[in-house]
Amino acid sequence: MTDIICPLCGKPNPSELEECKFCHAPLKAAGFIAPSDQEGDESQFISPVAAPDEIESPTIKPESATPLEQAIPDWLKDTEAGFLEGVESKPEQPTSEDISAQIESLINPPSVPDNTAQPAIDDDWLTNLLAEAGGEPLSLAPLEEQPGEQAEESNTEITEPYTETPSDEEKVLPSTQIEKPDWLTGLEAASTIKLAGEIIPGEPTAIEPGIVEPEAETGLNQMDVPDWIGQADAVESPAGQKEPEPSIAPAELPSWLEALRPDETAAPTEPVEDLSAADIVTAGPLVGLKGVISARPSAIRARKPPTYSIKLRVTDEQRARVEMMEALLADEQNPKPVPSQPILTSRNIFRLVIAAVLILPIVWMIITASQRILPPQPGSIPGVVDFTEQIQKLPAGAPVLLAFDYEAGFSGEMNPAVSTLISQLMIKNVYMTLVATYPSGPALAESIIKTGAFSEGIQGPYTNYTDLGYIPGGTLGLRGLANSPMAVLPYSLDEVNVWASAPLDTVSTINDFAAVIVLTNDPDTARSWIEQVGVVLMEDSTPLLIVTSSQAEPLIRPYYQAYPAQVQGMVAGLAGGLAYGRTVGIVRQNGVWDAFSIAITVSALIIIVGSIIGVVMKMPASDKMKESKE
Amino acid sequence: MKKILPTSNAIIAVISGTLVLLGYFFPGVFGSIQSVLIGWAIILAAFALLLGIFNLALVHWKKTKTAGSSKVYSIVLLISLFITIIVVSINGPTGSFSLWLFNTFQVPVEISLLAVLAIVLVYSAARLLTRKPKWYIVLFLVSVVVMLLGSVPLFLLGEVTPLILLRDWLAHVPAVAGARGLLLGVALGTVATGLRILLGVDRPYGG
Repeated sequence: MTDIICPLCGKPNPSELEECKFCHAPLKAAGFIAPSDQEGDESQFISPVAAPDEIESPTIKPESATPLEQAIPDWLKDTEAGFLEGVESKPEQPTSEDISAQIESLINPPSVPDNTAQPAIDDDWLTNLLAEAGGEPLSLAPLEEQPGEQAEESNTEITEPYTETPSDEEKVLPSTQIEKPDWLTGLEAASTIKLAGEIIPGEPTAIEPGIVEPEAETGLNQMDVPDWIGQADAVESPAGQKEPEPSIAPAELPSWLEALRPDETAAPTEPVEDLSAADIVTAGPLVGLKGVISARPSAIRARKPPTYSIKLRVTDEQRARVEMMEALLADEQNPKPVPSQPILTSRNIFRLVIAAVLILPIVWMIITASQRILPPQPGSIPGVVDFTEQIQKLPAGAPVLLAFDYEAGFSGEMNPAVSTLISQLMIKNVYMTLVATYPSGPALAESIIKTGAFSEGIQGPYTNYTDLGYIPGGTLGLRGLANSPMAVLPYSLDEVNVWASAPLDTVSTINDFAAVIVLTNDPDTARSWIEQVGVVLMEDSTPLLIVTSSQAEPLIRPYYQAYPAQVQGMVAGLAGGLAYGRTVGIVRQNGVWDAFSIAITVSALIIIVGSIIGVVMKMPASDKMKESKE
Repeated sequence: MKKILPTSNAIIAVISGTLVLLGYFFPGVFGSIQSVLIGWAIILAAFALLLGIFNLALVHWKKTKTAGSSKVYSIVLLISLFITIIVVSINGPTGSFSLWLFNTFQVPVEISLLAVLAIVLVYSAARLLTRKPKWYIVLFLVSVVVMLLGSVPLFLLGEVTPLILLRDWLAHVPAVAGARGLLLGVALGTVATGLRILLGVDRPYGG
């Protein structure tokens, strides 16, 4: 069954239909009849040049035409017919001499003008067109591969130079005088270069002698010539090189191709765009051209990454700020001179007034040894009575550990109680073992002992004591002293092993002392003694007595008031020292208590008056600030 | 060696701390070991004191080589240190010259500093309300005045019993409460630090 291919939609239709059943396009006029299965294989359909007789017969009978030939439009058929007529109108068939001449021309191609190559190009182009129309291009295989004489003749017809019949216009002017447009000349040059560049040695049939450029001649001569070419050359045309080369007739272009040609009479127009200032392509396949768009977009163009300077781009203002900052930092290292202030300022005057108000009454009271103020009573000061009782319980000659752990600056507050204590101990003739956890303690203890040695009731210098010196390690040293006094302080400051002689030879632990008396102004030091040594002393009920300052008294009193008490007696501050003196009968009326009392009173008054003045002076200032804000 | 030393240091510290701690709870068993370890620590502390004195002298020796007026104080310190060392080395720590140096220079200087401190504190308290009269500043000043007036019999007034009672209450209740609170916090922190050192978490000795 034969189907008709619709030229419009391309779908097969039955042959009896006049128009396409899909798109209703007329089928008979221009439809394509699809080949049926019984009519033959595809090779016959595709390859119209497979049968040489079809090529030889210029007219194609409708009944013997292939479906492809039926599908060819009329204009193309006319073109093909004209082309075939042109071929058949050749005066003679190529002979063996012609073949030899062609081969000879391949080996030594004559120099031909450029315009003679144009027909060959058209011939090649038309052959390709026919091949595309028929399905398979014309193969220019070697002659040995063609079976039979007809194939040989057909190949000879194809491979021989094709002479194009000039058109009417070309007949008026010689081919050499025809002025070709620039585009055609460029196309010819490009095609020539292309053919010359694509010539493959060993395929001489693909080479047209007329298009070989002179530059390629030497190359052809040097190429390896196949054996059959050499034989033909040697046998058939020994003197063929002498014969003149038949001129190549210009190809006859079909009318439709002529119609596509631009109007040659019109003069080529100058480019509208002025390319004088255009850029020249420097990279890519279009290198060297001017006024064209580069084939390589600039976006993907490989370029060297830009290099950035590591130097900061700063403005003058920023640089000035940096210099200012550096100057400030450099100025920080330099000591700044204290700005000179005027001596007589209100602040300095106020300070001088306060100092004078405080110092003058104190000096006056001490000078006059004032006794206007009633000294503190022992019963009103907690711990003094118990302290006195513990001292009175000490047996004569018993070893007592005495710790001097207060700063020399607190001597004015501590010394009244310490002096009274030392006097009582000397009266009791106890053996005082002096220790200290402060570096200045031994000197302070020695100074107090030597001063008290000349106090009332003491006959001669008191020597019943030893100074063991400084206990390093702070709290740890106290713990070591509690565990083994002999191990921590083996020698006295006189470098004497006091532990080997009486009365310390009976002392192996700290509980062997009759009492431990701590003289300190620091509550932390007192707490260390209580926590490290007092715990050991409580095992044998050895009394721990403390003489302290007024500032440490509130923190130590809980140890004294606790049950069982960790501190068995306490004397605190100047009031405690005076009370302890009154208890033991030593009354030191040297005006200290009156001076202390008046200094306290004046200090409180200064604070009160100063605060009132400050508030009064502050109020107008605050009112001004409020008014300014409003 | 760098890996062994930190481990060995940690082991020594943990074992020593544990033995000293056990000496408090079991003095009969670990008391002697505790005494030995504490004796070693006391010797090290004494050497640390000497090292501190040497460092002090070295720092001020370097300061004397720098330009400026502050080097005068360093020169005075070095001269004083040198003279004291010489005198005490020759005369002994309780010799007459040594005690003269102590009673002539150190005791008056320390007492003078405290006296100046007393005047500065009074001056500062008097000017305290001239800056920002906040309620807590007023409370502080009132407490100061009450403590001063309640400490001693007032001049020309004698003892003011309400002030004395109020002073005793302030000194032994709020003040001691605050101080004890601080001590409890310090004690808890000390316990935590001690446990961390005993467990080897904190290694102040390095490693």
